Amino acid sequence: MKPVAFDYIRPSSIAETIKILGENPDAKIIAGGQTLGPMLNLRLAQPTILVDITRIPDLVRVDDSDDALTLGACITHAAIEDGRVPDAGDNVLARVARGIAYRAVRSRGTIGGSLAHADPAADWLSLLTALRASVLLHGRGGERTVPLAAFVSGPMMTNLAADELVVGIRIPKLGRNGRVGYSKICRKVGDFAEAIGVAVYDPERKGLRLVAGAAGGAPILIDDLAAPPSGQSGARSAWFDDLRSRLQSTSLGTDVYELNTHTATLRRALDEVIPA
Amino acid sequence: MTAITLTVNGRALSADTTPRTHMADFLRESQGLTGTHIGCEHGVCGACTIEINGEISRACITYAVACEGTEIRTIEAFDDDALMIRLRAAFTAEHALQCGYCTPGMLIAARDLIRRRGTLTVPEIRTEMSGNLCRCTGYAGIIRAISRVMVEVADETSSPIRGNGWLGPAPGPTSRAAIPPAHRQDADRKRMPAASSAASHTLLPSREIKVLTGPIRIDGATTKVTQSFVVEQPIARVWLLLTNLEAVVPCMPGAVLDGGPGADGTFSAHLALRLGPIRTTFAGDGKFTRDDAARSCRIEGRGRDRSGPSSVIGDVTYRAIELSETSTRVEADIGYSLSGPLAQFGRPGLVHGLVTHVGETFARNLDAAAAGRAPTSSKDNELGAVSLLWSLLTGWFHRLTTRT
Repeated sequence: MKPVAFDYIRPSSIAETIKILGENPDAKIIAGGQTLGPMLNLRLAQPTILVDITRIPDLVRVDDSDDALTLGACITHAAIEDGRVPDAGDNVLARVARGIAYRAVRSRGTIGGSLAHADPAADWLSLLTALRASVLLHGRGGERTVPLAAFVSGPMMTNLAADELVVGIRIPKLGRNGRVGYSKICRKVGDFAEAIGVAVYDPERKGLRLVAGAAGGAPILIDDLAAPPSGQSGARSAWFDDLRSRLQSTSLGTDVYELNTHTATLRRALDEVIPA
Repeated sequence: MTAITLTVNGRALSADTTPRTHMADFLRESQGLTGTHIGCEHGVCGACTIEINGEISRACITYAVACEGTEIRTIEAFDDDALMIRLRAAFTAEHALQCGYCTPGMLIAARDLIRRRGTLTVPEIRTEMSGNLCRCTGYAGIIRAISRVMVEVADETSSPIRGNGWLGPAPGPTSRAAIPPAHRQDADRKRMPAASSAASHTLLPSREIKVLTGPIRIDGATTKVTQSFVVEQPIARVWLLLTNLEAVVPCMPGAVLDGGPGADGTFSAHLALRLGPIRTTFAGDGKFTRDDAARSCRIEGRGRDRSGPSSVIGDVTYRAIELSETSTRVEADIGYSLSGPLAQFGRPGLVHGLVTHVGETFARNLDAAAAGRAPTSSKDNELGAVSLLWSLLTGWFHRLTTRT
């Protein structure tokens, strides 16, 4: 339960970090270390150099404009939970942050670290995919902005280049009447989610967006459905049957348990934003 | 050794440590502060909870070097804390401890909760305290004790922690001047560019092939899963590839055939895997057999992790089934068992996703090979998922994913 020996570097700028990454192919970025720490202790990961990016002021910046909120990669879940940063609407960031692992993890775990790791069961990955967020990347080749849906290529797999760093996340703001429902099923509070359902209903902007998360790979996005009917239990029930059929055609379709838990979390999330 | 300077329980100190030494070991071994307990040592149990710059944190997954410049507070430094005095009394009155191993972490987490959140309901307390495990009291006394103190102090002025405005993990830059304002409106946009047209680097394969992956099943020590996909190629061509290890292996990202197959079907191979922070190589040998009448092949193999003591045993049987003159289905029954450190980390949902991802990559490459193209040199081929032995490959994933 002790990590293999590694070297440790603590750069003070993004440029210095990228230079280090370019020169050390075996280097691994560490921010809060709440995912990497366990993997190091279990010796699942054995990088030769850890690059600690938690002292870089540019990585905790907040840009709050009318149409989007941009959060630096090193902002902790706890800072978001506490409302120390603005929200993207419907208080959704604070609500979801409060459900991530445990407070003693949220105090050090970071939003950028979570996205770079791309664990399918992570809360930010599912929520922010549903919110059409993009990651901001800096590398030796320059800067780029990539929608999360294109950034994540599979379970714990992203299109981040070896010398690139996630520096922030840009989250489009919800419209005035935009609502977000969020539901997850965990065996134990704070454990990895077995299913995540996200429903973003923003009538002024893009209508309904659903994400089935913790689905093994990248979040499954469904954004071409009309809103489920309210006040007609038969029609609403039929609507959810259609949704379930839709999930059946995805990678979840071969496992009834997966299908049921993901349908249930989506239903709960939808019930929050479009009451039956 | 690396020199660090920090404050522990109000005392400034400098010490030498190694980068891999976590804070709990640092406190216990070099400072003699054994009140910080070590339970799971991978961030699950909460026994090592301490405060770093006023925020509760897991000492076992926070390295001492990362705490340069911080203020650490351990259970030893709460003797005179008014809230902790109440909590200690309540823990005694409510029988909130038995062996006492989890107690330092429980007390620090409970004090933080009361300070931050005031009075909560019992279900809320249970939810918020779920990061601290106790193996003997059954929690009832712990929850009663916390609830009792919440009621006692409900009318007192709360003192919410809010550090120095730094939004990242403590401590941030040691100089206060370097701390940026928390809410900066439209400042210096070029550092945080607005979303431009997405420069997606997704490397699209030549042709997407849908792969069906069955549920993950656990049979004793063996994990089993079935997988199938359809390639639009005549069965003769697909079968030719599937029976030729030298053709199959390049379809598996990261896999290299090192020797064979000999006349008896034996071969050796290795598989380089990179997934998230995990980078490892399995090397081993196996046996390949074919049944032309049934259009079925079997690969049995075993491999060892070159960088550690983990090992895997795998057994894959795959079949080619003719659907039409130009269409062939490939079905595989995959089984593997892992041992060693990698076997301790596994989550079925993640294993399912990884097996699917690997299967898709393999299917794409097989399709390309059947069509006379080289396997795609996508990023997947480095990242990898697979070995020529699906066994190796899936075994590898499994370790990566096992539930903690």
